[in-house]
Amino acid sequence: MTLQTTHKAPTVRSRSGLVTALGVVAAVVFFLISGAVSFVDVQTLQADNDRIVHSHDVMAAINALLSSIQDAETGQRGYLLTGNEKYLEPYDTALSRLAPELSAIDVLTKDNPDQQASVGQLKPHIEAKLAELKQTIDLRRTQGAAAALAMVNTDQGKLEMDAIRAQLAAMDEEEAGLRSARLAEMRAAQSTAIASGLLATALGIGLTLAVGVLVNRTARAREREAWLQAGHVGLSAAMLGDKSIQQLGDAILDFLTQYLDAQAGVLFKGNGERFERIAQLGVAADAAIPAGFVLRESLLGRVAADGRPTVVNEVPDGYMTVGSGLGRDKPRHLVIAPFVVDGVVNAVVELGFLHPVGDQIVAFLHQAAGPAGVALRSARYRTDLQALLEETQRQAEELQVQSEELRVSNEELEEQGRALKEQQARLETQQVELEHTNTQLEEQAQQLEAQRDDLARTGAAVELKARELEQAGRYKSDFLANMSHELRTPLNSLLILSKLLGDNPHNNLSEEQVKYARTIQASGNDLLNLINDILDLSKIEAGHIQVRPETVSLQRLVSDLRQTFDPVAAQRRLEFIVDVAGECPPAIVTDRQRLDQILKNLLSNAFKFTETGRVELRVSCVGDRLALAVADTGIGISSEQHQNIFEAFRQADSAIDRKYGGTGLGLSISRELARLLGGSIALQSEIGKGSVFTLTIPLAYDPGAVQAWRGAPPSASPSTPPTAPTPRAAPKLSIVDDDRDHLVDARRVLLVVEDDQIFAGIVRDLAREVGFQCLVAGTAEDALDLARRYRPSALVLDVGLPDQSGLAVLDRLKRDDATRHIPIHVVSASDHAQTALSLGAVGYLVKPVRREDLAEALQGLEAKLTRTMRRVLIVEDDDVQRDAVRKLLGSSDVETVGAGTAAECLRLLKEQPFDCMVLDLSLPDASGFFVLETLSAEGEYAFPPVIVYTGHDLSPDDEQKLRRYSSSIIIKGAKSPERLLDEVSLFLHQVVSELPAEQQKMIHEARNRDAVLEGRRVLIVEDDVRNVYSLTNILEPRGVIVQIARNGQEALDALEQQASGDAKAIELVLMDVMMPVMDGLEATRRIRLDPRWTRLPIIALTAKAMPDDHERCLSAGANDYMAKPLDVEKLLSLVRVWMPR
Amino acid sequence: MVRDAIEDIEINLLLEALQRRYHYDFRHYAQASIKRRLRQAREQLSFSSFSAMQEAVLRDSALVPRLLNYLTVQVSEMFRDPSYYRAIRENVAPHLRTYPSLKVWIAGCSSGEELHSFAILFREEGLLERTLFYATDINPGALEAAASGVYALDRIKAFTENHQKSGGKSSLSDYYTAAYGRAVFDKALRSQVVFSDHSLATDAVFAEVQFISCRNVLIYFDRPLQDRALGLFRDSLARKGFLGLGSKESLRFSTHAEAFAEFVREEKIYQRREP
Repeated sequence: MTLQTTHKAPTVRSRSGLVTALGVVAAVVFFLISGAVSFVDVQTLQADNDRIVHSHDVMAAINALLSSIQDAETGQRGYLLTGNEKYLEPYDTALSRLAPELSAIDVLTKDNPDQQASVGQLKPHIEAKLAELKQTIDLRRTQGAAAALAMVNTDQGKLEMDAIRAQLAAMDEEEAGLRSARLAEMRAAQSTAIASGLLATALGIGLTLAVGVLVNRTARAREREAWLQAGHVGLSAAMLGDKSIQQLGDAILDFLTQYLDAQAGVLFKGNGERFERIAQLGVAADAAIPAGFVLRESLLGRVAADGRPTVVNEVPDGYMTVGSGLGRDKPRHLVIAPFVVDGVVNAVVELGFLHPVGDQIVAFLHQAAGPAGVALRSARYRTDLQALLEETQRQAEELQVQSEELRVSNEELEEQGRALKEQQARLETQQVELEHTNTQLEEQAQQLEAQRDDLARTGAAVELKARELEQAGRYKSDFLANMSHELRTPLNSLLILSKLLGDNPHNNLSEEQVKYARTIQASGNDLLNLINDILDLSKIEAGHIQVRPETVSLQRLVSDLRQTFDPVAAQRRLEFIVDVAGECPPAIVTDRQRLDQILKNLLSNAFKFTETGRVELRVSCVGDRLALAVADTGIGISSEQHQNIFEAFRQADSAIDRKYGGTGLGLSISRELARLLGGSIALQSEIGKGSVFTLTIPLAYDPGAVQAWRGAPPSASPSTPPTAPTPRAAPKLSIVDDDRDHLVDARRVLLVVEDDQIFAGIVRDLAREVGFQCLVAGTAEDALDLARRYRPSALVLDVGLPDQSGLAVLDRLKRDDATRHIPIHVVSASDHAQTALSLGAVGYLVKPVRREDLAEALQGLEAKLTRTMRRVLIVEDDDVQRDAVRKLLGSSDVETVGAGTAAECLRLLKEQPFDCMVLDLSLPDASGFFVLETLSAEGEYAFPPVIVYTGHDLSPDDEQKLRRYSSSIIIKGAKSPERLLDEVSLFLHQVVSELPAEQQKMIHEARNRDAVLEGRRVLIVEDDVRNVYSLTNILEPRGVIVQIARNGQEALDALEQQASGDAKAIELVLMDVMMPVMDGLEATRRIRLDPRWTRLPIIALTAKAMPDDHERCLSAGANDYMAKPLDVEKLLSLVRVWMPR
Repeated sequence: MVRDAIEDIEINLLLEALQRRYHYDFRHYAQASIKRRLRQAREQLSFSSFSAMQEAVLRDSALVPRLLNYLTVQVSEMFRDPSYYRAIRENVAPHLRTYPSLKVWIAGCSSGEELHSFAILFREEGLLERTLFYATDINPGALEAAASGVYALDRIKAFTENHQKSGGKSSLSDYYTAAYGRAVFDKALRSQVVFSDHSLATDAVFAEVQFISCRNVLIYFDRPLQDRALGLFRDSLARKGFLGLGSKESLRFSTHAEAFAEFVREEKIYQRREP
């Protein structure tokens, strides 16, 4: 086995090409040189030849010259001899030839200085000879032959001739020497030329042979090259396409075995360290081929490590075998070649051949190593890439899923973010709200603090006052206690004497006088009782009452009471039940006298105010306290009064039913006594269900537990005595004569509510004087009844009524819709003016009342009645509705008149004055619009303010039309009556407060006619009715013709309309900015776009207050600008400025 | 302490600058709230100080709308506080029905939720035809949004609930068209609306109206500005006209308290007393 490692395949192609080219170049150079040599040789020969010819010419010229001179001499001699001119002919000819021949020689020998010098030497000789010749000839001619011969005999001619001859001979010789030298040169040149020709021929043959060899080699190299090239192309084609490594390996092996004519092949690929088999071809099925190898292991490993193809010749046995169907053989020769990429072996191929492996195969494999390596690497990359791609795709899918998840969570986050943002904004709002609330609370707190301070101050003042009062109370009580005693003494005598008088022992008094005396006695008794009570109360209040506790037997107590009250019960036909509960102790410790006093008072009250049923005294024990309850089945006491009835003097003029008046001081005393005993009195009662007064006292009196007495509110006016029946019993019917049976005019009725007959009579008489018809009520019930029945136009009300307080009456009348309008004048013995007026009374008089004051009050009522009587015309076709409205509006001071048709309405307006008119738009004979237009057009009608009251919705146009006549338009509906009432009362009120119309008109006319504005037409563009009216009211009285547009579009329409019609041109526009449909700025711009209106003055009116609004208005084209709210004077001056006469 | 004092001065100067340069008067807005709002704006617009912000604002008018968005709160929803709208339906609408034509002023309309609520309510009550709405705000951006009537679809659910609670007589979906995550409210609702830039702080009365709804606006004002605004409302309202305030607002301490009577106490609806 021989191993052959090929280092490098020769780069045949480039070298053979170079050699061939060099051969060709050498041939060309050779031919150029040999040509040049030949040319030089020929040139040399030519030049030599020329020079020889030249020498020849020179010699010829010399000979010719010599012959010419000889001819001249010959001629001379002939002439001399003969004297015959004919012999001179050669001389002449020679003479003419001589000069050119000499110059020819001169020219020809120019290149030869020696010859030139010779020519120079020759010339004098020739001239001398010629001169001698001529001289001799001339001598012959002139002097004859002798002279001539003499001359000749001088031998001068001969000398000259000899010199010439010698000179010419020298020249000829010189020239001949030159010619022979040149001939020798020429011969040398000829031999040189022959030698060079022979050399060139020999060289040419050699060169041609060399080029031939070279060309042959190049052709072979090219063939090999082509084979290699084809192999490469084939290999490339085989490797082409997106093949996997496996496929690629198969393809490479297929191609290599086929192209290199190998019998078998195996291909391993590796990563530089490990190689594994990827393809095999032609190997017998059972051949043991390694699946892989590592670097430097086996031949393969060595090749892989070396990176150089290795040839194995004469393969020993045991190598892989080539199999076919017919048998097997082992390859004789092997080539193991690596495939290399970037200097790294990435595959090794082993090929088995049956024939020896040529160089070109190794070269091919060497060359194929790169591309195949690249292809394999690419394939590996591709495979890797494929794997990566798959991985990437998987990852991409995963990413997609993740991104989807992300998107979802992102959306959620966004959602949350938005929610958070909203939350934040909401929180912000809440915070502001909280702050706001906080501020409010702070303000409230401050207010409360201030109030508290006020309260504290007031409290202190009140306390001071209270102390003063207490002091005063004590003084008063002391005084009263003392005073009562002082009073009793004279009263006593009075009583006795009146009793005496009443008895009329002497029968000297008339019956009437006896009656008087008895009255005096009765009154005296009342007075005495009153004084006693006052004394008692005063004593208690002044702390003058001593409690004398003793043991009191309950049995004894109740039996004594029974003894006292049984007869009363029998007299009033009432049942009297006494019930002592079993758990009560037999005796208690208290002041028996005071306990008796309390119980007697309670029982007597109970009997007094119980008409039927029974009175009970129930004694029970609650803990350590004894409860004595006095229950009746009387009329009861309303809960509001529960506290009041215990207050001393309260019932006199408060709302306590006078029926209970008797309990006034009695209960007060009882309560104070109970307190003294360490107990209290409680009241349970309801109107109509009887009352239960419960006295609770301790079982044993304990002075320490008794509360110190607190001064009760003092009062100056005494009240009815508690025990005596009231002298002013409640009368059921009129207490004085009145006019209830003969009322003539329901409009002027005065109700006098007064229980004092005398006073009632006085008021009645006065009222009649003033012109009222009079009703008199003695009690509150009566008063309410009469008020409802007769609907009086005014009331005079006493506060101190027997059954209820007059203030209660006042309140109830004012709460009743039917009577609340009635003016009420209150008269009272005590000052409740504030309360009464706040309840709605029109005036207040304190008793005692002077007649003049009363008269004045009545006149005030009268005046109020006549003054506030207003007439309202209700125009409504539907009877039911008309009546409803009349009822709604009608009151004592509003007279309503109904009209069902337009005609009736107009008739009424012509005949009667009205303060106000409520107009329904749909009337059977004409529309409301017609009525309004008629009224405004024709002067014969009074035109009261109109409230339009309609069931239909109105179009904006209709509304605009109506607004000219009426500022109040009401659409009927659930709440319309309320609004109608508001509007009407407001109207009537306004009318009252206004100046008389005539007067107003005069003022208007005097002040407002403005000459500049008279008859001018102004367009008001404004959507707000209120503004339109205020503007109209400013401008119209000044004679301006006002036209109204409700928005920018309408303004444009109005301008267009007046431009096309005959109407007086609009001279000024007052333009509101904020309007629907088209705003003022836009409208102004559009107006300015029309050349007709570029000069039309426009004043913009805006609610915006800023300077740039001003600018915006002006830049839109307005001439001037005015901010709302409008200043009348400023507006007028602006209008005058922009609308000069 | 010092820093706070400086900041206060800077804020005052900035507000002064805004007023003098652009006539947006925030000087009488509730201090605490405006401070918070300005701080937020400063951070978001990345200014180092209010003075820097002032300098920029004075020279760059493009900054103003952005600043306005921070200074005015744009949070609202349709039929917010449904009971308020219910009270209007039940107690106020019968009165409004007696007027042949109506004007309603939504003061501080923000992005128009309240306006649309009113328009829908008025349509349901049969009043829309005769009503002219004035929707005013100081923020032109908000007005634009209000005039477009476009709201995010996800808010509609809450709107719908509120609408139902307010006693809605129809379905809210009758009034909008939903697409691309937004809901566009029927243009007809806005056909009778005047959108206008009007400042309660500087501008005057522009019309006589029967109803003013100004909810959650006064809370951002200090007392003098509240009084000014309420004065405008008083002068603007027709006799016996109605004023609706936000649930936390009241007239109790206002100098104009006397001019109004409580109409629906718990919903802060007031009625103008007769003058």
